[in-house]
Amino acid sequence: MWCVNIVSSMSDLEHTGQRAINTVYAGLGRRYAAERRFRLYGMLAVLSGLAFLVVMFTSIISNGYSAFRQHYVQLTVEYDESRVDRNEPAASDFEGIVKSSMREMFPWMSGRSDKRKLYGLVSGDAAYAIRDRVGDNPSLIGSREALWVLLDDDADMFFKGYVTPVRRQLMSSGITLALEGEKAVLTGDEAAFEVIVTAVRDHLQAQLAVARKEFEDMGRLLEETEAGGDRDEVVRFKAKLESLRMQISGLQARISSTSLNEELGSGMPSFLINLDGVYIRINAITATGVSGVVFAEDVTGLPTIFDQWQLVTLEMPPADRRLSDKEIVVLLALQDRGQVESRFNSVFFTAGDSREPEQSGILGALKGSMYMLIVTLLLSFPIGVAAAVYLEEFAPQNQWTDFIEVNINNLAAVPSIVFGLLGLAVFINFFGLPRSAPLVGGLALTLMTLPTIIISGRAALKSIPPSIREAALGIGASRVQTVFYHVLPLALPGMLTGTIIGMAQALGESAPLLMIGMVAFVVDVPQGFTDPATVLPVQIYLWADSPERAFVERTSAAIMVLLGFLITMNALAVVLRKRFERRW
Amino acid sequence: MVTAEELAYGMERESVAKGPLEIFEGGGQVVTDRDDRQTVGEPFVDNPRVSARNVNVYYDEKHAIHDVSLDLGENEVLAMIGPSGCGKSTFLRCLNRMNDTVASCRVTGKINFDGEDINSPKIDVVPLRAQVGMVFQKPNPFPKSIYENIAFGARIHGLARHRYELDEIVEGSLQRAGLWDEVKDRLEQPGTGLSGGQQQRLCIARTIAVSPEVILMDEPCSALDPIATAKIEELIDELRKQFTIAIVTHSMQQAARVSQRTAYFHLGDLIEAGDTKTVFTTPRHRLTEDYITGRFG
Repeated sequence: MWCVNIVSSMSDLEHTGQRAINTVYAGLGRRYAAERRFRLYGMLAVLSGLAFLVVMFTSIISNGYSAFRQHYVQLTVEYDESRVDRNEPAASDFEGIVKSSMREMFPWMSGRSDKRKLYGLVSGDAAYAIRDRVGDNPSLIGSREALWVLLDDDADMFFKGYVTPVRRQLMSSGITLALEGEKAVLTGDEAAFEVIVTAVRDHLQAQLAVARKEFEDMGRLLEETEAGGDRDEVVRFKAKLESLRMQISGLQARISSTSLNEELGSGMPSFLINLDGVYIRINAITATGVSGVVFAEDVTGLPTIFDQWQLVTLEMPPADRRLSDKEIVVLLALQDRGQVESRFNSVFFTAGDSREPEQSGILGALKGSMYMLIVTLLLSFPIGVAAAVYLEEFAPQNQWTDFIEVNINNLAAVPSIVFGLLGLAVFINFFGLPRSAPLVGGLALTLMTLPTIIISGRAALKSIPPSIREAALGIGASRVQTVFYHVLPLALPGMLTGTIIGMAQALGESAPLLMIGMVAFVVDVPQGFTDPATVLPVQIYLWADSPERAFVERTSAAIMVLLGFLITMNALAVVLRKRFERRW
Repeated sequence: MVTAEELAYGMERESVAKGPLEIFEGGGQVVTDRDDRQTVGEPFVDNPRVSARNVNVYYDEKHAIHDVSLDLGENEVLAMIGPSGCGKSTFLRCLNRMNDTVASCRVTGKINFDGEDINSPKIDVVPLRAQVGMVFQKPNPFPKSIYENIAFGARIHGLARHRYELDEIVEGSLQRAGLWDEVKDRLEQPGTGLSGGQQQRLCIARTIAVSPEVILMDEPCSALDPIATAKIEELIDELRKQFTIAIVTHSMQQAARVSQRTAYFHLGDLIEAGDTKTVFTTPRHRLTEDYITGRFG
């Protein structure tokens, strides 16, 4: 570095010469170091900002991208005349059609609760889809066709991999199938079931570790209690310790035995064996093989010896997931038959909110936000610009205008919920406007946005050089002409920037809407300014608050839509600013 | 007869050679006391176009101009000179009430234009400024096209009813400002894209486009190079035939070259006014002499 060289050579000079330049050189190194340091800090600040941004976007996108696709199932729908009323199709039993279609496909789901589970795999929307289909084509009545309908959100989550990790392994060591009523017994050599055996051993090991830990803790507790001298407690702890010792020795014996003989409980991963499309859920592991339940109606035609078979491991234990093994077998079977398809999630963009995640969409909130912003823009932009122009160009400079200016600046700092209260008191209670309406929301947000627009508008007007005003006044333009022909067009880009900032603020605001009833579960897509509506941030909040897993991805997707909306608005502002921008 | 340039360059030597002025050869009063702030010379003319009487200007408490009385003759160029802060620009801005835009500024006294006091509340500044145009120190074209720059004034005053009339005004003004040949092919381009000298001539063209009777120029050449300055000076000489012009300048040479009459301001007082040649060759006030001989200012 050249400056370092200079510094080192200059420090010699300092002793000999008294020239000012020597002092300058002596300080130079420090100056450049400070500069480099400052630049480093700046870069660090920018980089850490960027890093946070990347983290945020990665998190949102990785959580939300899957919401843009939705799984559909193909049902064979029979428009049975006993179910569909020709004269009044709307009153028909469409749910029954869906149910019978599912029943036909999976007759082995026969118990009451099994049937309920089976029907629950298809969205409630399927019945409406069939109704619409028949309504559009009454000629279908009496015939049957294959129809794609929405899957339930849990089933959709399963196919998206959120319910349990699914591992499929192709096994090529032969096994033999023997049926004993409901029970299927599979026998094979050691290698065939090694995966299952290892998993069971691991599970037992984990249980052992837990028991040992508990044993140690209990031992310590016992020592302490003995020192304390509480007789009853000591007796109780000793008994507990004894039972734990038994449990540990039992577990040790089970693990070390050469031939495992274990039941597979609901705390363990599920193992499914797929024999040419017939699924067997493993319940127990024995010395010779495994035994389990067959999930199929008719297995009489099955061969008894399989050279190749598939082991499907559902790694999340059934106790910890929303779908039982049976339901998952149904879904896997549907997938094997090619009756499940992932499609673009158009429902998300065309529906309003719903309690059912697969039927819920963002359109209601998007339109609500749009209507509200239109009201806000139409009111706050003209009023804000007019106020800024008047205060900056026409108002006399006196205490009154100072007072107004101070108050406008204060208004900009008022917590937004206060504007909600004001909106409730004035617009709803006094003027009697409807609750939950974008009109009232827009009015309340206008109050909130006005100070921002006025302040930025005044700043924009102040930045116009007075020479432009003098030029216009000097050739006899009136003040209004000066302002409207020359000053305002030049200040407009700055005013637009302020307006867009205000609008973006309004778009992301939910607190003022609490009070006027826009933080609500609104199913219908609003069709006008006075329809009940909600807005994007509120929708995000409501979904984030819902327990269903499918709403988690929809929350992130809604955030993406909100950000997209914002970016579009900002892009528009940049375009407008560029259009109006003039240099002088 | 000496030319303006010779006058401008020659006067210093002449004055210095004479030493302190104690005897005024042309007759009349000679003021040697630097503290005497009475106006000497001939501030008044016959048939003035604008006549200011006892004008005082205050910025809040500051008394910026003291009791100035001065006439602008028909079709003459009046140069106002003086050191910085002497009030010459402030006085100029009184003549078309541009000081109205300064909130703290207060003007008293009478300024007669067309037989009326322009400071009276009856007077509307819009027509006043249409008659008394102004060219500013820094070229300030509108950030619009060259055409729009000129057309704006004519349009707001309703001087043109049709497009062709407007075209005529634009062309005529640009021609008189000597800018037509340079910009006729790019009338739609922004006026701010021109060079400094061209911008200033555009501003002059913009001012004459509304056909004023008086043009006020506030140091129109101070931001320009000598070549552009020469062009503007030629233009001023040309415009004198039709307009009455008051020009504030820091350059005594320029005052000598372009003006017929000169007024010397000093710290808010009008010290001396009179024929340019007289003021420069035989100043009657000690302060004027000090200034034009370069002893201060």
